[in-house]
Amino acid sequence: MPIEDQERDEVLLKRSAKGDEDAFTQLYRRHQAQIYRFALRMTGHTWAAEEIVQDVFMTLVREPKKFDPGRGMLGAFLYGVARKRVMKHLERLPREFPLEVRNEEGEAKVVDIADQRTPAHLAEMRERREQVRSAVLALPPEFRETVVLCELEEMSYEQAAKILECPVGTVRSRLHRGRALLLAKLEMLREVPKRANAVL
Amino acid sequence: MNCEEFANLDLNLEGAPERPETSAAREHLRNCPACAALYESSQRLRAELRELGMATSEVSTPSRVEMRLRQEFRTRHTTAKNRGRAIVAGWLLAAATIVLVAGSFFVGRHSKNANVAKAHPAANSGVTQIAAAGPELGGTLVAENDGDEFALIPGALPGLQDETTVVRVQMQRGALSALGLTVNEEHANDVVEVDLLVGADGQPQAYRLPQQTAN
Repeated sequence: MPIEDQERDEVLLKRSAKGDEDAFTQLYRRHQAQIYRFALRMTGHTWAAEEIVQDVFMTLVREPKKFDPGRGMLGAFLYGVARKRVMKHLERLPREFPLEVRNEEGEAKVVDIADQRTPAHLAEMRERREQVRSAVLALPPEFRETVVLCELEEMSYEQAAKILECPVGTVRSRLHRGRALLLAKLEMLREVPKRANAVL
Repeated sequence: MNCEEFANLDLNLEGAPERPETSAAREHLRNCPACAALYESSQRLRAELRELGMATSEVSTPSRVEMRLRQEFRTRHTTAKNRGRAIVAGWLLAAATIVLVAGSFFVGRHSKNANVAKAHPAANSGVTQIAAAGPELGGTLVAENDGDEFALIPGALPGLQDETTVVRVQMQRGALSALGLTVNEEHANDVVEVDLLVGADGQPQAYRLPQQTAN
């Protein structure tokens, strides 16, 4: 995040702490989407992601001083809070995740807005995408969050390490292990024959 | 490079700059079918993960969450503002009470001193109201301010000097105990003259005993 954005976050947060609702709203709109995406990709449930986003920003409303600008950026702080909420959520749920995402009414919902625009002949791609999503959701949390941050959110190892509060080396090794687990799961699902030569 | 070394690299060779490491990795892939197959699967997985990321990159929190948060924000800050105002009001009230009590105390002291000073000739700047007493009071004479200082009767509150009257009465010494004063039992039946400083409510506030009848 550019320095001016970081400073802007701090100014908005100070104004918000003094009761400026517009400042709080701006902060929320700047950061809500990435927190929602992270929570959704980690939990697979839109209702859980919604709850987590609300919890994260309630922390800003109720305890704005919990964020220390000297320790890092607001975005990383919000991710950290979201991560803890996600872990608490996952602890309460059973290990297996359904292939489909269900909303708060219990209706199956595919969280893939591209589906509405995908032609019929890409149904196979959609199916594969669902398999990948399910495989990610089936990963143990410590590997799942690394895959979500580095592969889906496309963060660097350093950015992910700050959010996960662990060394860069740990991020690398978890990502490596996470990918291996995903491959194993997907190979099992698809039974793709191994090819002899690589395409470089 | 062997298979273990290749696996530990975790490289993405597509578009990677040429370095000794990447050259060695490409060479290994050419010679090792197992690693080549694994690499291909890994590349496919990367592409699928990227696609999954893009497919969900436009999702956003439902607007009801923003509404709830803003409502909570407003409630919290209105409560905090009202609490602040209540605290300030409380302090102002406490300060006003202290000023009022202190003021009453000093006014009361000043009033008492003024009343006592009025009874003393040196401070006799004004004469209390003198009224004639009737025979039903047993020959009681209303006294002039003739010198001795008045002493407050226990439990009496000093009134304003304009509202007091000096009344001289004759009474048995023992009756002084009704005013809260200590009386020598041996002389309780003696008749004495007492000057009473009586307030507008008719209640005696202070007394003095003219010298010839002192306890």
